[in-house]
Formats: sequence, C-alpha cells, structure tokens
Amino acid sequence: MDKFIAIVGTNSDNSTNRKLLQYMQKHYANQAEIELMEIKGLPMFNKPADKQVPAAVTDMAAKIEAADGVIISTPEYDHSAPAVLMNALEWLSFHIHPFVDKPVMIIGASYGSLGTSRAQAHLRQILDSPELRARIMPSSEFLLGHSLQAFDETGNLVDEQKTAKLDGLFADFETFVEITKRLKNAHAATAQEVRDLDWDNL
Amino acid sequence: MLKLVGIAGSVADQSYNRMLLKFIATHFSDLIDLEILDIDDVPMFNQSDDQTDGDAVQFLNRKITQADGVIIATPEHNHTITASLKSVIEWLSFKIHPLSGKPLMIVGASYYDQGSSRAQLNLRQILESPGVDAIVMPGNEFLLGDVKTAFDDHNNLKDDRTVGFLKETIGKFTQFVKVINSMNDKADEGWKKEDLESHGTVDTTIKGLDMHADDWVEQAAEKTHAAEGSDYVKLDRGVLTVDQLNWFLNSMPMELTYADDNNQFLYYNHTMDVKDMLAGRTPGSAGNPMADCHPKAAIPHVQQVVHMLRTGKTDLFKLPVPGMGPDKYIMHYYQAMHDDQGGYRGINEFVLDLMPIVKYYLEHTGQVLAKDPNAKADAVSGASSHAAAEKAKPDDVSGASADTEKPAEKPATDEVSGASASADVETKPAAPKDVDSVSGASAKD
Repeated sequence: MDKFIAIVGTNSDNSTNRKLLQYMQKHYANQAEIELMEIKGLPMFNKPADKQVPAAVTDMAAKIEAADGVIISTPEYDHSAPAVLMNALEWLSFHIHPFVDKPVMIIGASYGSLGTSRAQAHLRQILDSPELRARIMPSSEFLLGHSLQAFDETGNLVDEQKTAKLDGLFADFETFVEITKRLKNAHAATAQEVRDLDWDNL
Repeated sequence: MLKLVGIAGSVADQSYNRMLLKFIATHFSDLIDLEILDIDDVPMFNQSDDQTDGDAVQFLNRKITQADGVIIATPEHNHTITASLKSVIEWLSFKIHPLSGKPLMIVGASYYDQGSSRAQLNLRQILESPGVDAIVMPGNEFLLGDVKTAFDDHNNLKDDRTVGFLKETIGKFTQFVKVINSMNDKADEGWKKEDLESHGTVDTTIKGLDMHADDWVEQAAEKTHAAEGSDYVKLDRGVLTVDQLNWFLNSMPMELTYADDNNQFLYYNHTMDVKDMLAGRTPGSAGNPMADCHPKAAIPHVQQVVHMLRTGKTDLFKLPVPGMGPDKYIMHYYQAMHDDQGGYRGINEFVLDLMPIVKYYLEHTGQVLAKDPNAKADAVSGASSHAAAEKAKPDDVSGASADTEKPAEKPATDEVSGASASADVETKPAAPKDVDSVSGASAKD
C-alpha cells in the first residue's frame, strides 16, 4: 500500500484544507496510508550562514523522503500560497532536497468560489524550482470552492460530483506514482546536480 | 520631496536587496527621501493568532500609511518571493490595508542571471490582489542579476549603465507617485469624518463635564485632582513644579495652543488679554471642542488640516495669516504630536510674528529684502490672497480659513527622467554566462 504524506498548507486552527485531507485520509484508508503533516511553528526562513536546518524540518524531510508521494492542500492568500507554506518549502530546499523527483498532488479549498486556483498555480511554480524539483501531477486541479459548506457533520464531502472527481484524481495519482518510479533514469544525475548547486559560489 | 519607504524582502543577515535599497536611498537622495523599514520582527502570519495590533505590524502600518509611496526590493527563493515578505503582505491585507491605493515600485536583486524576474512577476500578482490593492508601477522592471559582483567595496553599484537605468526608473516612479496620489486625494473623503464637535473620547478625555462651560478648567482640575502650584511633575527629561511649568510656557516667544486627538482645545499659554494676542483666545475657551472656536464656513478647511496631520500626510502645516499691518508677518504652525509608539495625539499650534526675526537677521548681516524676480508666489505677501479675503480676523484655535492647499515643498520636477535616456532594459552588467542546465535558477537572495 502506498504511503503518502499530506501537508496541511496553513497554520490556521480551523482550516477546511485540513478537513479535506482528513477526509481523504479516512475515505482512501483502503487504498493508501495517509499521514497528515503540520507546518506550524517553524522559524521564519532566514538563510542562516551556518546552513543549519531546524530539527523539526529534518524530521519532516525524512518523512517526505520515505513516502511514496506527497499531497499538499493549500489555501489562497492574496492570490498565492500562504507564507507559512512557502516558508516550509524554503526550509525543505535549504541544503536538503527531499522533494527531488517526489510525486506531488496539489489540491486546495477556499471559502469563496474559486477554490484556490491561483495559489495552486503558484505552488506548481514553486515546486518546479531547481532546489525542489518535485514531480507534480500534471493537468489535475482539484479546486474545492465554498469549502465551509462542503462537508457534512461527519467530515464527508457533500457534493457527489466533487467526490467522484477526487476519487478519480486520487486513483490517477496512484498511477502517477507508479509511472514516476519509471521516470528515474536521470534521478542520480539530477540529485547530484541539486546537491552541487551552490549559490554562494556561482 | 517625496517621502518613500523601502522594504527589503529578506530577513537574512546579509541581503543584497537591502544593500540595493540603501544604495537607492543615498545615491538618489536629491530625488526622494527613502526610509528603509525592517521586517525582521514581523511574526509568521497566522489567521488564528491575530497580531495585527502588535508593534512590528503597527510600525509598518504607520510608516506605509504616512509615506507617499513604497519600494519593495525582492530576492527570489524557489521561483517566488520569500516567505518573510509574503508574511508581511498577509498581515497588511488581513485586518488592515495600508497598501491599498499606494503607489509601489518593485526592484530585485539575485545571485544569478535572472535577477529575481519570476519573484517580481509573482509579487506583482500578489500586490494586485483585492486585499492588498497596491498600485504597482507598470513596466520599468529593474532586475539586478549577478549581484555578488555588482557592488564595489563601498556598496555602490559599479556599472554606470545600471545606475543610469535605475535613476531613470526612480525618476519615473516619482512622477507615478504624484499622479496616483493626486487621484487618491480627489477620492479621499476621509477628512469629512473629522469630528470637530469632539463627540468621541480618547483615553485622556476628562469625561462627564460640559466642554462648553466657562469654568471647564476648574471643573476638570477638580475632577482629576490635577497637580497644581508647587506640586512636582516628572517630565521627559526633568522635574518641575506646575508653577515652574507655567512660567516656562508663558515665557515662550509665541502663542501656544494644545488640541488633543479628540479635537478638543485643552490649553493655551495665557499671558495676554485677547485683544493683544495674535490669535485671540479667552480663558473660557479652554475645554471647548474645536468647532466652537471656528466660524462655520471655516470648518471644512479645519477638518482637512486636522485630517492631514492625523493621517501623517504632513506633520507640520504652515499658514501665514496677514491682516495686522506691514510690520507684522504672522505665521500659524500646526505641528502634529505623537506618542512613543508614533500614534497621533493632537496638535501643537504655535503662532508667532516672524518680522522681528527677519529684521534682526537683516540688520546683523547687513542685508535688505528684495523681490525675487523668479519667484512664482510673491515671497513677502504670499498666501495673503486666500486667508485675508475670506475672513476679517483670525479666529481662535486655528487659522480658520486654513487653505486646503498642501503646505510647502512642491519638489521641482527635474531632470531625472531625461537623464540617461536609454539604458536598455537588460540591467545585467556583465556578459551573460553560460546558462547551464540548472538555468531557471531561483537564485537565493
């Protein structure tokens, strides 16, 4: 069974993105083991000269490294991903590279009708950068708008169409994870390249 | 001169973007007054832990609100802006919106060729979102690539073409700021909310008294058990008795008036009879709301002046109030007062006759006054046209017919933009390096 890390893209106490991931954890329990990962409480990334990464970050990196794939659910703040998620990704690409060639599925929930369309595009751009280089599942947006009304009291998605869409995308993601395993011809070279990347000595 | 604030989008100890802002601040100090704001103390945004009212966010809020425009220098991390900068923007678009309508320019420096191109584009998108609503100057991208070799030992940009292009860009931004702010001024009706009847209260308001009463001072003193006579008062920096404080204030060579942030007239240095004063006040006026001290027709003008001082559009509003003959040149100054946190606390109005000072200066330097043939406004009698026409004599608390025109400093628009006309858009000083496979290079700041 695939093991996935599900990153809650916010530090908010009440988040429909967390709810969405909790729903997936339960709903797909027979298909995959999903572990939620919180990103609250990391220090603000300040590019420390000693290149030390906080212990909480190395723990997160180890879990991501060991997982078959990563699901990120992002809110949208100011037409983009939240600072707290960007911060976690900055730490997770600072002299450590757990995301290289890692399959990633991006989803998102918002109170309004757009369902984080712009934050997801932003997150895609970030994950594609040289020190992250994740394998992001292409052409597969899951936008959950009006998220406050989207769940029933047991935490299940109300809308059947939305549920069917998510089921399909999740099955696709499992396939994508398999395909990605075959896309590893350049992995050693890419990983080496990322390790060698040294902005201080360009 | 335009008052701008600069934010470097990095909390790293060594930031080339901060260096770039410092260069702009010093090198173009003849064009702009640029204050660089620190974002190191701003916490990570969390909507469940609202710290909008904390010092770090309020500091930025106040500085940005008071500035004519903003320059952000952004690094690029992972193809986007830094989390630290994004967090600042999230605070400034959550419960407060100081960037709304604010003219803003983006610049950026990065280690690699790209010079923060993707971060700048991304920042533009963020700043234009409805919660932020900044007015970002279009075009004029200033991308400083290969930043590690761009500065000399004195932190000056080495390449003349780059400096030329930067100067041109800053020049255009000064024009942009003026255009946007003149649009904003027309739209800003905030001054209408200035309540000169002092209906509200502030933390220092003495409640439960009739502000209009002639003996308001006595009532207020009794109610608050106010220190008086030989009671000592600790001040910053010194200790005086109330008597000493009075002797001190009453011997000031000007008429002083204190109006608080609730627009209530609390104090004047009472040394003369009303008929001998440059701006007449009577003992019964102390405690009055400001509306009591002005003719009705002047109220909107006073509201506008108070609003400018409260919002920091200006800290000092100056108004000549002629009408006392050619031997006097009476100036009314309205100086905004602030507490330690920079919050607006009211107006220090001081009124004085400049003529004795001018005469003294001329006598002792052997000079005479002469008309400046190039002056646009008549240097000597300037401003007489408005104030005099509109009212017979200067009113109480403030120069009633305060002209709405902004005070002082209309910075001469200058040569800036013509200067180094066509540095090309590519500001990279060196020839392009070989772009290797990594290329995209989201150079860390």
